[in-house]
Amino acid sequence: MHTVISTTDLTRTYGDVVAVKSIDLEVAEGELFGLLGPNGSGKSTTVKLLTGQIRPDTGSMRVLDADVLADPVAVRAKVGIIPEQETPPSFLTAEEYLQFAARIRTLDNGVDERIAYWFDLLEFGETRDQLCKDLSRGTRQKLMVAQAFLHEPRLAIIDEPLINLDPVMQRTIKDFLTDYVRHGNTVFLSTHILSIAEEICSSVGILHRGALRYQGGIDTLREEHSSLEGAFLALVGKPAREA
Amino acid sequence: MALYTLFAAMLKEEWRVHSALFGHLGFALLPFTLVFFAALGALMLPVFTRHIDTGTLVAIAHLAFGLMGMTIGAFGLLGREALNRRFGQASMIAYASRTFPVSNRTIMTAFFAKETLYYFCFWVLPPIIGFGIASVVLGIPRALTPLFLVSLGLSFLFGLSAVFLLSTVYAHSRRALLVLMGLLALGTAAALGATGTPVEALFPPLAFFHDRSAASLLISLLASGAMAAAGIWFVQVEYTGAARHYPNAFRPLTATLSRLRTPHFVAKDLLDLKRSEGGLGKILFSFLFPIGIIWLLLEVLLFILPGLNALAVFAILLAAFSTTIYNWLTEFDDFAPYAFFPVTPGDVIRAKLQTYLMLTIIPVATLVIAAAGFGQMDRLLPSLLAFAGLSSYAVAVVVYCAGLQPNILLYNTRTLLSFIGLVAPAMLALIFISLPDPRLVAAGIVLVLPAALLVDRGERRWSQVEQRLF
Repeated sequence: MHTVISTTDLTRTYGDVVAVKSIDLEVAEGELFGLLGPNGSGKSTTVKLLTGQIRPDTGSMRVLDADVLADPVAVRAKVGIIPEQETPPSFLTAEEYLQFAARIRTLDNGVDERIAYWFDLLEFGETRDQLCKDLSRGTRQKLMVAQAFLHEPRLAIIDEPLINLDPVMQRTIKDFLTDYVRHGNTVFLSTHILSIAEEICSSVGILHRGALRYQGGIDTLREEHSSLEGAFLALVGKPAREA
Repeated sequence: MALYTLFAAMLKEEWRVHSALFGHLGFALLPFTLVFFAALGALMLPVFTRHIDTGTLVAIAHLAFGLMGMTIGAFGLLGREALNRRFGQASMIAYASRTFPVSNRTIMTAFFAKETLYYFCFWVLPPIIGFGIASVVLGIPRALTPLFLVSLGLSFLFGLSAVFLLSTVYAHSRRALLVLMGLLALGTAAALGATGTPVEALFPPLAFFHDRSAASLLISLLASGAMAAAGIWFVQVEYTGAARHYPNAFRPLTATLSRLRTPHFVAKDLLDLKRSEGGLGKILFSFLFPIGIIWLLLEVLLFILPGLNALAVFAILLAAFSTTIYNWLTEFDDFAPYAFFPVTPGDVIRAKLQTYLMLTIIPVATLVIAAAGFGQMDRLLPSLLAFAGLSSYAVAVVVYCAGLQPNILLYNTRTLLSFIGLVAPAMLALIFISLPDPRLVAAGIVLVLPAALLVDRGERRWSQVEQRLF
């Protein structure tokens, strides 16, 4: 299987804090890969590194055959990204923001149809004329999901995409992601919610204090530790409480 | 107890916000910079007072400190949105009544006390110390410095208290605020014009400066206290306003601007300006104050160097002040909302500069009006060329020094001094070039060359610097 994300010896520090420590990671095409870890384990830093939003101290990365360090703009052009925090411009309406995103990504054909599809799928068309700054956090998150997939990328790198969303919408997006991967695309999903990974991911990586403690199939982990939660707790040094 | 705890926590919070924005050392040095420039300005007083009477200068100083109090108060009360843009979701103690068992009145009292003390130390005290230093050199009576400390401090407090009251009125009813402002404007005009009431009678801190009486001091304190108390007592806090809806203006605007390189960025910037508080009018308003200063400087400059041409000098000073338009454009976002799109900080800077160039229509129109006013339409072209060159160069310096964050980085002492060091010599050179013949000021157009170089370097510089992300 073709590798769409690969990192070698990836390290990033913030002052004295080592956020990401010497990570070697590979994600194959068609995977729904979940990067798991406790709060502050380095998940969002890894997402920002892979999308060229920040630079590593050492190491190299390739995403969709592009060198992230040499050409981060090319990577961001190919990939759909949901950032850690939803930050649409305050004074554009929801619809205007999606049109703006389409223009930045130089989409010409079928923009209106694509936007209509996302308003319909995520059920937020009634807010299309509302300023982004006045949208609820959940609706802003829907907007972030829509902009990430508007250009139909082969790879999506998404950071906590289900945060602030109600269970119905979480189900919709989980179904969308599963279907999206079934069509040969790849998802790199960062989350600390194990149930999401357990439900939809085919493989996972587990980060703890910036280091990658495990990478592989989710079924292998379950076989070794009876559950993903048990495996996760064991890998981050917090054994599950005896029943 | 809750009041003191809140007050102390707010003081710490204010310091940490500023040091996070501007850097600990950069912000800590700001008062010293203010002392330096205030002393420098005060040393020019003998020149000013030969042309402008002392009473006018004193009134301007008091009104300026009052305006400063209003500006600081307004930002404190309305600044959460600005902080959200910088830090993601900012959560300030001032908005804590939702989660802590304290009333809005207690919080606002602590907030008012914090604003008064913190900004008195950072913005009021340094200029007065600077004046005090200069007064020793100039032989100005020493008693004037402590008098200014009290009267200008009162002016600041008056402005701050007034904005607390006005914001509370606004929270209850926009119409009531408009009516109140209208009545105040009419009353002031009537008092000054029809009845010939002196300015100091309408502004208690200025009255105190002139008569130094305990009664004036008391009136000034009571007036500020009453406005602040009313603002706090009737405070009404709304955490979420009504959602605003707009028909799609982005697409038609982008189509109209389609000849530009990145029309979508320009359309977004224009919509930001139009839909944010104050609308496009805030750019106009932000010009009125600098233009007033320009007129003041112009009078002094023409007095010192009678050979200067008013229009040429006006064009030069206007060009330097035009950089505030770029500051407005970068006020609404930095790079964070674009970080996950296929663009670099350099791309965003270039797009902002396109909008900046479009909006220079405002200072250009001002220059044309000034030329007509001076009766120098025949000399408009050289002044326009000088304006074009110098405004391009000045904004290029801002881009090089501060990238997409001039509103933050220009408060950093080193960056501010770099800006002044690069722009002031160009301004002085053009002023002296214009001395033999005002038409020679047209030579300023050559500044577009270093401007292009600086923009290019600035774009590359800020594309290599890791931008602040949430």
